[in-house]
Amino acid sequence: MIKRIKVGTASCGIAAGADEVYDYLSKNVTDHDVVEVGCIGHCYAEPLVEVETEDRSYFFENVEPTEEDLKNILDVGEEKRLTFRKERKDKELLKVSRLAGRIVPTSLQEYKENGGYQALEKALEMDPDNVVEEVKNSGLRGRGGGGFPTGIKWGLLAAKEDETKILICNADEGDPGAFMDKSLMECVPHQVMEGMLIAAHATGASEVFIYVRAEYPRAIEHLTTAIDQIIENKINVLNGKEIGIQVKEGAGAFVCGEETAMIHSLEGKRGMPRFRPPYPTDDGYKGHPTVINNVESYANVPVIISEGADEYSKVGTEGSKGTKLFALAGDLEYTGIVEVPMGITIGEIVYDIGGAEKGSVKAVQIGGPSGGCIPAKHFDTPVDYDSLNSLGAIMGSGGLIVIGNNRCMVETARYFLDFTARESCGKCTFCRVGNMRLLETLERITKGNGTQADIDLLEDLGPKIVDGSLCGLGQTAPNPVLSTLRFFKDEYKAHVEDKVCPALVCNDLVEIEIDHDTCIECMACVKTCPVDAISDDIEVDVDTCTRCNSCIEVCPVDAISRIPLRGE
Amino acid sequence: MSNIKLKIDEQEYSAEQGQTILEVAEDNGIEIPTMCHNGRISQTTSCFVCVVKNKETGQFMPSCSTRVDDGMEIEVESDDVFEMRQSALNLLLSEHIGDCEAPCTIACPAHAQVEEYIREGKNGNFTKALEIIKRKIPLPMSIGRVCPRFCEQDCRRNVVDEGQPVAINDFKRLAADKEFDNYLEDLPELQDSKVAVVGGGPAGISAAYYLRREGIRSDIYEKMPKAGGMLQYGIPKFRLPKHFVDKEIQHFDKMGGVDIFTNQELGKDIQLEQLKKDYDAVVLAVGSWKPGSMYAEGEELADGGIKWLENVARNDFSAENPGKTIVVGGGNTAMDCVRTAVRLGSDEVYCYYRRTEKQMPAEQIEIDEAKEEGVQFKFLSQPTKVRKENGQLIVTFKKMELGEKDASGRRRPIPIEGSEYDVKADTVIAAIGQKTIAPEGSKTNKWGDIEINEENGYMADNVFAAGDCVTGPATVVEAVAAGRNAALGIEAFLRGEEYEKPYEINVSRGHWQSLSKDDLVYLKELTDRKREKLEYIPLEKRKNSFEEITHTFTEEAIAREGERCLECSCTDKHDCKLKDYSEQYLAGPEAITGEKRVYEADTRHPDIIIDRNKCIKCGTCVKVCKEVVNESLLDFRERGFDTNITTAFGEQLPLSCADCGECIKECPVGALDWRNKERAR
Repeated sequence: MIKRIKVGTASCGIAAGADEVYDYLSKNVTDHDVVEVGCIGHCYAEPLVEVETEDRSYFFENVEPTEEDLKNILDVGEEKRLTFRKERKDKELLKVSRLAGRIVPTSLQEYKENGGYQALEKALEMDPDNVVEEVKNSGLRGRGGGGFPTGIKWGLLAAKEDETKILICNADEGDPGAFMDKSLMECVPHQVMEGMLIAAHATGASEVFIYVRAEYPRAIEHLTTAIDQIIENKINVLNGKEIGIQVKEGAGAFVCGEETAMIHSLEGKRGMPRFRPPYPTDDGYKGHPTVINNVESYANVPVIISEGADEYSKVGTEGSKGTKLFALAGDLEYTGIVEVPMGITIGEIVYDIGGAEKGSVKAVQIGGPSGGCIPAKHFDTPVDYDSLNSLGAIMGSGGLIVIGNNRCMVETARYFLDFTARESCGKCTFCRVGNMRLLETLERITKGNGTQADIDLLEDLGPKIVDGSLCGLGQTAPNPVLSTLRFFKDEYKAHVEDKVCPALVCNDLVEIEIDHDTCIECMACVKTCPVDAISDDIEVDVDTCTRCNSCIEVCPVDAISRIPLRGE
Repeated sequence: MSNIKLKIDEQEYSAEQGQTILEVAEDNGIEIPTMCHNGRISQTTSCFVCVVKNKETGQFMPSCSTRVDDGMEIEVESDDVFEMRQSALNLLLSEHIGDCEAPCTIACPAHAQVEEYIREGKNGNFTKALEIIKRKIPLPMSIGRVCPRFCEQDCRRNVVDEGQPVAINDFKRLAADKEFDNYLEDLPELQDSKVAVVGGGPAGISAAYYLRREGIRSDIYEKMPKAGGMLQYGIPKFRLPKHFVDKEIQHFDKMGGVDIFTNQELGKDIQLEQLKKDYDAVVLAVGSWKPGSMYAEGEELADGGIKWLENVARNDFSAENPGKTIVVGGGNTAMDCVRTAVRLGSDEVYCYYRRTEKQMPAEQIEIDEAKEEGVQFKFLSQPTKVRKENGQLIVTFKKMELGEKDASGRRRPIPIEGSEYDVKADTVIAAIGQKTIAPEGSKTNKWGDIEINEENGYMADNVFAAGDCVTGPATVVEAVAAGRNAALGIEAFLRGEEYEKPYEINVSRGHWQSLSKDDLVYLKELTDRKREKLEYIPLEKRKNSFEEITHTFTEEAIAREGERCLECSCTDKHDCKLKDYSEQYLAGPEAITGEKRVYEADTRHPDIIIDRNKCIKCGTCVKVCKEVVNESLLDFRERGFDTNITTAFGEQLPLSCADCGECIKECPVGALDWRNKERAR
């Protein structure tokens, strides 16, 4: 017996057409409730519909707003039924994201029915110092990338006598390919708020800010609704003390994810980092003691308080406790969000959970654009803060981009650096000018104009940018370059010495070849070519061709391929 | 405040808790470079030139912001730190657009401070102008007349008025003509050491002059009856009246410490080995006097150009009419010969040159003036034979055509077989260059010129050399530059050191030919004034006498001409931290190259210029305006490499800013400055 039908309408779902599916189902299903929920992490399967029955749930993937799919769903048919793969089920550990995609995000009642705000109640009965102690003991480290022990930060704030103390939630998730925080805010906004309120109680903070990027409208909408409910129900009155809550929309500067830049931005100034110390706990928002934690860190807090530090810290490795959310993207089968115990290997995430074929993957870029590339040969590395650092990558906020064999590592480094170089705040010489010079050098190499001197420049300047920048952006921006240089130097050498892109990606080093033995002269390529580079006798004019691959895609017999550019 | 101990470069220091590394260093006289640190404002921590290294962690830290800790060990002067600072400066230079120094000064072989003496001349301060000129040019009356004006060839005024650069040399000429007699340098006391200068031409005079300015005595040995070299015996007096040369030489009497001995020829009257013993140092400045060969049969029947001019000069320009005269050659000496022949009464003077007019090494103005005076030019002809028949000279020429370019970049003349023709003449002069006769005992290169260390003019033992005898025949301005360089070399040598030219950087917007009007930054409104014209004496008088052919500019003309100067050099060139530190850390604009962002200079404010092309984005101005002045008229805009400074809402700065100028005062480079350069200094 169907209880209700849930449509995942987090932004990933909407992007795949979930709005249309929801509208269609709401209009055409009269006997059951159709509700909007968040995302369960299986983004590859969107639009995703869950049919909740008395005893269990059934999931349907890639649902379309059609009569056929509707019938199938209502019959709980086999068609499009999503079976959760055992490989993934075995490796995942859903704790923080337990309710994501399962409840209506903007329903306070539903959150409460599923254990919501019980952790806050429990915390309010505890002495604030004990709450701080509990978080310390849990071993929770900042999920935003830095990995600083959250409890210690809280302790510093709690020790301050100031009347005004500030808590900020860093929801300025800016890494391309990272969307864990967005998902948590869209799917379980109350859980994030509960974590913040527990933190406010523990630290004695009087005001909390959520600094969320304006590019996350749905997260803002859900958070705002949740906050309205909190205020209406006086959940923010902690043992008689009312906590002010404000949402601040960031204007999209990546560097505002850095804590001192974020404080400047909140104060209405240009988002530019400053030298630390003084740390925000000593001199933060408008001079008040301030602690900044990431969305996922806050979302961990109710879990810690509910189950206790001892239980929480059973999961993970020596230095990295609990679970971590990763946003899986790139060249793999099952993209989406996964929650895994710390200490799982990269290989388990990529192959078992992500379903990538062994041998098809060259590396992962972990930690966003400022992270580093880890080659497949190191996929047995456990995912924890310290192991990743030792390989020149960072945990970062949890973006994990799988790079297939068909990608060029020089171009990949160029792509990431292009992002960070643009997003530099412009303050530090090394970051502002140095990253631009690195980028230009990479461009020269990918265009086939590079020399050994260019590789030398990358190796000389890269570490200096790391050493000569104030904030995390500059300190990590050269990471993609330095880690690819470390693990894929042969690809750089090939571009420079042989003027060859081994992955046949860099257009200036590639030409299009038609195998006339295979060709059936269907003329599809000739008709498709947008620049008329293929003649009627099916020869490619190298100078006109833009290497757009249209011909390759359209060829029915795979007679066309990219080959290394032949010299004069 | 607890006292803490730390080590800087192995040395222990004590400091107060809360002090920055930079403060501790300053307190203890340790120099750390910084572009963006400014005690009047909160930290900007932007430039990273002040980095030091934490010895324990190996981390680099900005010393302006890092506070000291007890037990800290810091490297301030290690190789790593040097390299890090150098890289920061290289990066800043790689995005820097401007002109440290004006192109005229860079082009001048003596690097005379052109813009500065033009400004003084324009304002009528001729003594000051002369003082500036004589820092680099000891013979301003002569050079003010005969210089080929390298400066003007690179003058940016050409962008606005092509072919009409500022008449730079005429500023020298007027300042010297007006004030030479009235100006005496501030001179240091004379030391005991003494130098022998062999050769009293421009290089020797320059060496003696700058030695004297360093307090070093010298004796000049001159083989001719009068000192002056080519100025006295080479360049005819219609271009350079000899009383000017005499005056410039007599100036040594006023200065003291320099004695001139004439009719003293090296190898005859004096010997190098003896001079080396008798003096602390010797400068060889014997010039380049040996006539070159025409490689024509019977060429001994022709006079050598320089020798012929010398004879005319020795007879006070009163020689016999040379009759029909043929001068072979296309350089300035050839022009001097033909024009001298005209003045000696010849009404048939020919110049024969084996290439065409375009390839002539002589200055165009000399060629034009010679044509005005009736000289006829015959191009693409080379003499193959000179003979005398019945007392009549006959020169056989062969016709030439131009082939491929040769090493000098000029098209090589190729003889046309069977094209010989004869020309009769009374006088034949071969003005085809000179060679150096290197004194016995000197080191020479493959051209027979003296070989020296170009940094300081040093040859060997205690001997230095300068001028044409080092370079082969060149210009007066190059000779005086070399003479000054040798003087600096000797000054260091006498102190037991080796002089090296200081490492200097020059950021340049580029040669005027690669620039358009929009590429330039104008400190003042651009006037469309054309170049002042030199006034000539009447043509007939030119042809019939050796009177100087041009008049010196009037003060009014100079004031007008001075308005044409675009003042290209940086307003901040004397006080630019980027330049100073780059030179200290051997950074340069070519070390790391890449794209630059080009911004239009903001000259909307009548007194202030904002040239963001020079900005290092340290934000000092932003903070000074906010924190010191309590205004918010400046801020950052854009991100990444595009980050730059903007005025509030992009509007013009208020006029009241002219009364403040705090941002200008604190800008470490010339991005914010007064438009009036005197105020800028």
